[in-house]
Amino acid sequence: MTKQVELLEMLERTENHRAARRSFIRLCGGAAAMTGGLALLSACDDDDDDDVTPAPTPTPTPTSDAQDIAVLSFALQLEYLEGNYYTYAVTGGGIPAALQTGVGTQGAVIPGSGNGAARAVTFGDPVIAQYAREIAADELAHITFLRTALGAAAPAQPTINLSGSAAVTTPGGQAVGAFTAAARAAGVIGPNDIFDPFLNDQNFLIGSYLLTDVGVSAYRGSARLITNKTFLEASAGILATECYHDGVIRSALYSRGLTVPSIFTDIQRISDARDGLDGPTDTDQGIGTAGNANLVPTDGNGLVLGRTAPQVLNVVYQNATPGTTAGGFFPAGVNGSIRATVANT
Amino acid sequence: MTDSRELIAALDRRVERRDERREFFRAAFGMGALAVGGATLGFAKRADAQTATITDADIFNFALNLEYLEAQFYAYAATGNGLAANLLTGTGTQGAVTGGQKANLTDPVVIQYAREIAADEVAHVAFLRSQLTTSAVAQPAINIAGDATGAFTAAARAAGVVGTTDVFNPYADDNSFLLGAYLFEDVGVTAYKGAAPLITSNAFLDASAGILAAEAFHAGIIRGALYARGVATPALRVNADRISDARDALDGVTGANSGDLDQGISSVTTPLTSSLGATSAPASNFVPTDANGITFSRTPQQVLNIVYLNRAAATMGGFFPNGVNGTIRASVA
Repeated sequence: MTKQVELLEMLERTENHRAARRSFIRLCGGAAAMTGGLALLSACDDDDDDDVTPAPTPTPTPTSDAQDIAVLSFALQLEYLEGNYYTYAVTGGGIPAALQTGVGTQGAVIPGSGNGAARAVTFGDPVIAQYAREIAADELAHITFLRTALGAAAPAQPTINLSGSAAVTTPGGQAVGAFTAAARAAGVIGPNDIFDPFLNDQNFLIGSYLLTDVGVSAYRGSARLITNKTFLEASAGILATECYHDGVIRSALYSRGLTVPSIFTDIQRISDARDGLDGPTDTDQGIGTAGNANLVPTDGNGLVLGRTAPQVLNVVYQNATPGTTAGGFFPAGVNGSIRATVANT
Repeated sequence: MTDSRELIAALDRRVERRDERREFFRAAFGMGALAVGGATLGFAKRADAQTATITDADIFNFALNLEYLEAQFYAYAATGNGLAANLLTGTGTQGAVTGGQKANLTDPVVIQYAREIAADEVAHVAFLRSQLTTSAVAQPAINIAGDATGAFTAAARAAGVVGTTDVFNPYADDNSFLLGAYLFEDVGVTAYKGAAPLITSNAFLDASAGILAAEAFHAGIIRGALYARGVATPALRVNADRISDARDALDGVTGANSGDLDQGISSVTTPLTSSLGATSAPASNFVPTDANGITFSRTPQQVLNIVYLNRAAATMGGFFPNGVNGTIRASVA
């Protein structure tokens, strides 16, 4: 099933990933030494109750570990982006004001105006509408959870360019709506066209693919960096949730591609564009072709691809240049200690 | 899509189902008594004993047993053939696969699902074996038969997906295949997530996160497909919910981490608060999560309860008629 060549390529990629992560770990100043600990087994206590309360993720005592704060704060920045996208698509408004406050510079969502403006999607397929609502609820829950986990250290929502409009006003001046900028850079649309992710089911799914695939790769890449076991397990659970989302989105795009083949081409272009932004390692895959679906972006070992945090920033800032601290979806940058792209050589 | 009658019924089910499940599974699985003092004492003792000796290799070997099961099911369903012989050897008692056949799939989308998931699961088997090298466990005996003797039928009967004398054949058609896949997928996600904080090696943890993610993609794809098909065929959603309830009952009701660890795909009422205010509407449930939007965890013992189809302490049964290989092999009541 796995050809020799693929296996060799995979081994090389794994080495590249390791090198990239090692440099990221150094960047964070963390030894990333995982303390052992089998504390979870002690959870198998003699609690004999059988109430119907769902087994909740334990409400965490806010972390004080500097590396965990950095990693979880970064995750929260991405959740602000995803949360606002899905919440706008479902309700026509962003996340509640109470969830936007915190450390750093609080920013607003820039919805843009006219064609491409962030707004409620008029869904044609009720199944897609359901997907959107459920994902929105999950993302809001993630924001709430991470803010609780970080406590007083939780960073504020940064300025978010959530628009597909041709021109928007950002703190740094005039810019193109970030979705349109991404679609133009990928060649999905012409250099003067706009991409409106809120226009219809298909565009919404493509916009979702643009964001959620990146969220998956971010959580996947950072799992090994979290030292606190409670947060590690929670982060694994959020990773899983993002993968459920992405699995549904990618398979919905695949099914539509059978009747609208341009979807396969467009998705591949977006994937290639992201992959080009974050350096030479293979961190991204399209959804394949009609005859050969690729719904799960994995390496030759069947492991989902991951990105380092700086690689994620390359993608969301839409800029491959090392040292970039703002741009794309985050025109004023993200809040927290991880905020700059690094060289991906 | 969902009429209010269904919603009310669903809500009622959520309230009542635990009691029903306890009664039902007491009968279905021949359990005389639910976990009480003595059994939980034994559980704690066993957990303590395992704490002292469990290693990353133990956890990966446990995962390998599950991957053998998933890989064989999907490989047979997609191609009619199981894992290659050189992927089956190892420590412990090597066993054969009972049953397994090419699924009669007709929807090209479902055919793609089967092919891709099979490839991923086979890759997981190969990868875990490569990481474990000489300590990798052999494939244990596996029952994935589609006939009356099959573990699928036992599971489906117990869950109420089929009648008590009916057969459930996951290879029969697209919908049956999706339900069979559903039976496994969420379990893999909860197993890997539950194991994440137990892993000490950073490299193993990283790999485990990658496999967890792949399993969650698979689960999302399968659940999404069942949900979408359930719009036209509501029985699909009902049956998926029944399987979820069955798993939830098997994995126990005691312990701090053993409340509701499973969710079906039918509509639930989801509160959604945006800057425009609060709304609440029925939504799909294609992601099984707690209130934090976080998926559930199962201990290895709880996972064994499910794959052994036995909520009592057991070392074999269900999909693993001779038990799994490795040090983690006993479920607890």
